Amino acid sequence: MSLLDYDFMQRALIAALLTGLAAPAVGTYLVQRRLALMGDGIGHVALTGVAVGLLTGWAPVWTAIVVATAGAITIEAVRARGKASADVALAMLFYGGIAGGVLLTGLAGDTAANLYAYLFGSITTVSNGDLLVIGALAIAVLVLGIGLQPQLFAVCQDEEYARASGVPVRLYNILIAVMAAVTVTVAMRTVGLLLVSALMVVPVATADQLTRGFKATFLLALGLGVVPSLSGVVFAYYVDVAPGASIVVIALLGFGLAWPLGAMINRRRRRRANGEDPRLAGRHVTAEEHPHQHGEECGHPAVEHDDHTDYLHDGHLHAAHGPHYDEH
Amino acid sequence: MLVNEVINDTDCVVTVRGAVVVLGERPVLYGADLTVPAGQVVALLGPNGSGKSTLVRAAIGLIPLAAGQVRLFGTPLARFRDWGRVGYVPQRSTAASGVPATVREVVASGRLARRRPFWPATARDRAAVDEAIELVGLGDRAEESVANLSGGQQQRVLIARAAATEPDLLVLDEPNAGVDMPSQEAFARALRTFVASGRSVLVVLHEMGPLEQLIDRAVVLSSGQVVHDGPLPVPAGVAGDWQHHHAESPRAAQEGLFG
Repeated sequence: MSLLDYDFMQRALIAALLTGLAAPAVGTYLVQRRLALMGDGIGHVALTGVAVGLLTGWAPVWTAIVVATAGAITIEAVRARGKASADVALAMLFYGGIAGGVLLTGLAGDTAANLYAYLFGSITTVSNGDLLVIGALAIAVLVLGIGLQPQLFAVCQDEEYARASGVPVRLYNILIAVMAAVTVTVAMRTVGLLLVSALMVVPVATADQLTRGFKATFLLALGLGVVPSLSGVVFAYYVDVAPGASIVVIALLGFGLAWPLGAMINRRRRRRANGEDPRLAGRHVTAEEHPHQHGEECGHPAVEHDDHTDYLHDGHLHAAHGPHYDEH
Repeated sequence: MLVNEVINDTDCVVTVRGAVVVLGERPVLYGADLTVPAGQVVALLGPNGSGKSTLVRAAIGLIPLAAGQVRLFGTPLARFRDWGRVGYVPQRSTAASGVPATVREVVASGRLARRRPFWPATARDRAAVDEAIELVGLGDRAEESVANLSGGQQQRVLIARAAATEPDLLVLDEPNAGVDMPSQEAFARALRTFVASGRSVLVVLHEMGPLEQLIDRAVVLSSGQVVHDGPLPVPAGVAGDWQHHHAESPRAAQEGLFG
């Protein structure tokens, strides 16, 4: 009997696919703004959310989303204020998340062992209801992460500049925090809350070794998230381990392979000539064919340049040089 | 003070009146005035800590004012929405972040004020980005990672990013600080091209460098107040000297107090 004949395995693989796409999609933005550990923090807080579900009998997916989102917005608010004491405040939030989770689970009469499936994932526990919620959320995260890429890129690249461009920076910051919280919840059935951050960060770090641009890194990271997610779940089926562990180890192996390869590529790129614009190096660049003489009547704006006059012609500065014009 | 009275506010791209800025507990600006008339290149000069950066950042709404008012293109800052008309170049040594980005990607992020969320870039957007990259002389490096460029080239990327929005006003915060000579030349060239089409520039400078001949007016700050507003304080070449000259000139100081 093939592993795909088991319903639970089909669900686990679909959940892994969605997680493998959503986690690096959000992770790229977190790494870009150097908040790689934010996913970790949210994962800790989400544990309390799961415990609330166990205590009240509500679906842990929903309670985890609510608590993780509240935690993520708190983290974002503390970060945005930028006070020196912010890291201590965040640390306390993380401890509180774990301790609250274990405490509430105990009060619910469950043992902490029941939390294990949420901490490191479990391939047998993805229900049909879970899958619907996970699917809808993961697709929402992907649509936002891809559709708003120019905006999110700008905010994560240079927050102050984005503000000076009239981009509603605070709104996008909160959006990233909420997307991260949702992704943590999506991922808790497969990689689990304690290791979800690895799936947000490691594929991005791996892609980053091989690429030069943001879009390329983003797309490659999605692929590098899916491969370990699927293979980790399959591995967990054959060898009885928590899928989170196998997913993360496979992702890290990928990084181990990409690192030397990336170093080699980079060395080759740097060796390529560091060319400069010839106009700046003082070399002589003549303008293309020129049907008229620049002067007061040609309509091209004039601008003084040292001892002569340049004329602005289709975004180029032209200076008279004997019978032709030079690019200045 | 004199200059401000002559120029009508409505012709001004930037008007700052009596700006007071307090950062933390520390007052940084005490009632500074600044105008940039359309088509002028205005240099903002002054010693370190005199409030130059604070003044330009307040002028484009990055820092709140404790008192005073700002107008951009005649519109009070609180109601100003036309951010595509303003290109800002922050004072920074690097254009890189935690994930690699190509020159084109960073420059394209300057185009956002003219784009809508969820809509792909138009041909016009792409052309503006290409032109901006060409303007700073990085055309053949457009697909390279900004992290692999020199500091001066990265500064040029930031200038191209500001130019990509096709602004009517460029605001530059020490664009030449720690920048190699070819990049300074590239920048002066880009600025000549920009100014030739009749647009305005507000530039914070520590040293004149190759920009000197482009500057129409200089505003000198000292300890959060304007102490000079008029032609360049000191003739060509002696960059740095004006600081001394004007901080000690009683007339300039007086103008500043009541300006």
